[in-house]
Amino acid sequence: MRSITLKGLSKSINGGQIIPGLNLNIPAGKFFALLGPSGCGKTTLLRLIAGLEKADEGQIFLGDEDITELPIHERPVNVVFQNYALFPHLDVFDNVAYSLKLNKTPKKEIKEKVCKILQAFHLESHIYKFTSQLSGGQQQRVALARAIINEPDVLLLDEPLAALDFKLREKMLIELIELQDKLKTTFVYVTHDQFEALTVADQMAIMNTKGQIEQIGTPKEIYEFPHSSFVAKFVGTTNILSGKLRQIDTDPEIEVADLGKFKLSIPLKKQWMKEGCDILISLRPEKIFISKKEVPNFSNKLMGTVQSIVYHGRSTQYNVVLRNGLKLQVFEQNEEHFPQQVIDYDNEVYLYWQKENVVLLEK
Amino acid sequence: MKNQAKTAKIASVTLLLFTYLFLYVPIIVLLVFSFNSESFPAPWKEFSFKWYIELFHSVYLWESFLNSLVVAASSTLISVVMGIFLIFYALQGGRIGNFLSLFYGNVVIPETVLAVSLLGFFTLMSIPLGLTTLVLAHTVLGLGFVIPIVYAKFLELDPKLTEASLVLGASPIQTFFKVTLPLLRPSLISTGLLVFIISFDDFILAYFCAGSSSQTISLYIMSMLRSGVSPVVNALSAVLLALSTLFAVLFFSLKTKVRIV
Amino acid sequence: MKLKFLPKQRSSEFPFTFGAPAIIWQILFFYFPLLIIVVTSFINISELGEIEGVTLKKIALFLSPTYMKVILSSMLLGVSNAVICLLVAYPLAYFMAIRGKKHKNLLLFLLIIPFWTNFLLHVYAWFFVLERDGFLNTLLLKIGFIHEPIHFLNSIFSIMVMMVYYYLPFMVLPIYSSLERFDSRLIEASLDLGASWFQTFRRIMLPLTLGGIRAGFFLVYIPSFGEFAIPELMGGDKYMFVGSVVSHYILGDQTGSLGAAFTVVACICLLLSAVGLFFLLNKIILPKRKK
Repeated sequence: MRSITLKGLSKSINGGQIIPGLNLNIPAGKFFALLGPSGCGKTTLLRLIAGLEKADEGQIFLGDEDITELPIHERPVNVVFQNYALFPHLDVFDNVAYSLKLNKTPKKEIKEKVCKILQAFHLESHIYKFTSQLSGGQQQRVALARAIINEPDVLLLDEPLAALDFKLREKMLIELIELQDKLKTTFVYVTHDQFEALTVADQMAIMNTKGQIEQIGTPKEIYEFPHSSFVAKFVGTTNILSGKLRQIDTDPEIEVADLGKFKLSIPLKKQWMKEGCDILISLRPEKIFISKKEVPNFSNKLMGTVQSIVYHGRSTQYNVVLRNGLKLQVFEQNEEHFPQQVIDYDNEVYLYWQKENVVLLEK
Repeated sequence: MKNQAKTAKIASVTLLLFTYLFLYVPIIVLLVFSFNSESFPAPWKEFSFKWYIELFHSVYLWESFLNSLVVAASSTLISVVMGIFLIFYALQGGRIGNFLSLFYGNVVIPETVLAVSLLGFFTLMSIPLGLTTLVLAHTVLGLGFVIPIVYAKFLELDPKLTEASLVLGASPIQTFFKVTLPLLRPSLISTGLLVFIISFDDFILAYFCAGSSSQTISLYIMSMLRSGVSPVVNALSAVLLALSTLFAVLFFSLKTKVRIV
Repeated sequence: MKLKFLPKQRSSEFPFTFGAPAIIWQILFFYFPLLIIVVTSFINISELGEIEGVTLKKIALFLSPTYMKVILSSMLLGVSNAVICLLVAYPLAYFMAIRGKKHKNLLLFLLIIPFWTNFLLHVYAWFFVLERDGFLNTLLLKIGFIHEPIHFLNSIFSIMVMMVYYYLPFMVLPIYSSLERFDSRLIEASLDLGASWFQTFRRIMLPLTLGGIRAGFFLVYIPSFGEFAIPELMGGDKYMFVGSVVSHYILGDQTGSLGAAFTVVACICLLLSAVGLFFLLNKIILPKRKK
């Protein structure tokens, strides 16, 4: 289980640059997620690490070893493909045993290892079946078993759950976490689905459409303290307000045109934060408290009209129009069968939030 | 509307019947009379294997038959092997795309033209005509089938399968033998059968390129035809027909195999 | 525990030697011979076999009316064969692909068997049937349908019968595979929108199966043009086609280069006619484009 370090990695395809001089360190033995919108280059990056693509510039290190020039089949890196890429002419046993059969491992040992791993994945009853006879979830597990049986240093997963339905996906995510925990292999999970990324990752990186890494951190860090509006908007939903930064050193607040002044808290003052400069703030919908009556003890308050209501089962989403035309999204958890106050269309409501729950972003 | 559909159906079934009748009546007639003890045009006398026995005793026939077999087998083998080599090269990332169109001409030009040009070539190179030259000629035909068909199939293969194999640690050569070839096998075999049959049944190339000394089954039949109808040829037809049927059965069993490839 | 992977291999440029055999073979035994006959048509070879000079005499020889007539006959043969095959093959292929789905395999199988039987056997079979003392005549005489045997053989009729008989599968298979991929829901949609069967056929099916029709058409036309065995065997020496002239020259003494020249001339005519037919087919089958 070694770490992966990328130095100045660049890759262009057909004249367009996909990866621009990327630097990244993926810690050893952890479940790492690479999250980004479709087409941003994350699959290309994964293929570069696997050796399926050759970088134009830069280096790839596995631990201390420079593997940039190493051909695909010599890298101790395995891939679980999005469509599984199971060999249709081989049955489950032979698929899983494939890598072991490559180098004179004794038949008995192969049989042992394969049976053991198939048991762990609950696939014993399918051992001699062919791909077409398996369900999506089973195929996925075979692909997984095949990729880990020869104990690679790194396992790359390219949106492996994309083809599964929601319930199965949730289940597989948990299984993947447990698997990584047991094996301690470095997992690199590439996806565009933030829910998946947030669920499995020990550490994650957000890639933007230009192939650059916007932020690296734990899921919680990324969600609660995004560094840019891209990250704030891509991971989860958020409300973005723009305005001017006032009273930095005394009682910081943001002045939003036509709306007023709102209190902020600045845990760490950054270089770019200057009095009167333009800033953005990110306010997550679940951090806003909505009520038809006035409520005390909140640092910030706004008034608006409910434009639309969307029922999500666990929560209800309110889209509220403010007096300057701006719309805010509010999530409220449905804690009670019979809520004490019922908020309806066209209701005049108060929106409250605490200044600590706002994130300051550079414009 | 329904009537229109119904008449259309009846018409098409009738057409179908007539077409297949057209295709099979001569053959069936031929078969039936191969068992007649009397030579045509004498009417049916009694069932007899007479002509078959005479057939099997003909040394000349066996020689031609064997020749045809050897030529067909050789040209099939050579063209299929060359095809495999080409695929291997493509797998390594070799540029084939443009070269592919080079092979389309083989089956498109009239066989007569091919025969004439090869004859010219052999004469120029002072290569004596015989079975070898025939094999060379048939291989050209064979390549015209093998390369386009098998390469097209190769392109249809999921590239992720090759990648998966490499990623799991198989070298390019191992990947070729463990993944690519097995997946191409049905296609290779069925194309091989096709080439074999085409070579075995070929007449024009044999007529021009086999020289006067060697005989293939086609040339044998030709010489017998010149001397008019003969029931021995009927018997031969029956045997060859059985062979073709066998090949067709083989070919079809390959196509309907339960493999997902 | 790290698994030992294979030792480093120079997997890069696997020598072109692998791709080469096929290509070299192709060039040597296909393109080079073709080049030879083209060149031979233009040079003068003395009786001793020496090259004397460039000449257009041989080519000019074959541009005369006599030979052009031969070439024209071959074209006619080819086109009529292709057209007849097309008319028979299309409904057959349609039935196999779209209507008779259950029997599809059987029908294909039955079609392939004659296809894979020795060509000369078919000639012989028809001989057997059409000869003066042949099956058909004997049958008809017996029934009393006719009083004298009909000379079926050695006529255009017997030639055409044999041509269609032999080339039919070549037309059926490409059209069949084209129809197999055809989405029959398109037919349903067209009928649903109010078109008649014929309109649907003409406007939807025909254009969309053009690929198969084209392939079949040329798979029949081009070889038919160069066909010499069938006309010779079924038509006696009565009719002169390209194939017969070529074989006559090629197999004769000293006339090898003339045969080459005629082949070249015939090929060029073939190519031109093929291109013309290609556009004609497109024009007939495809719907008119509004400018």
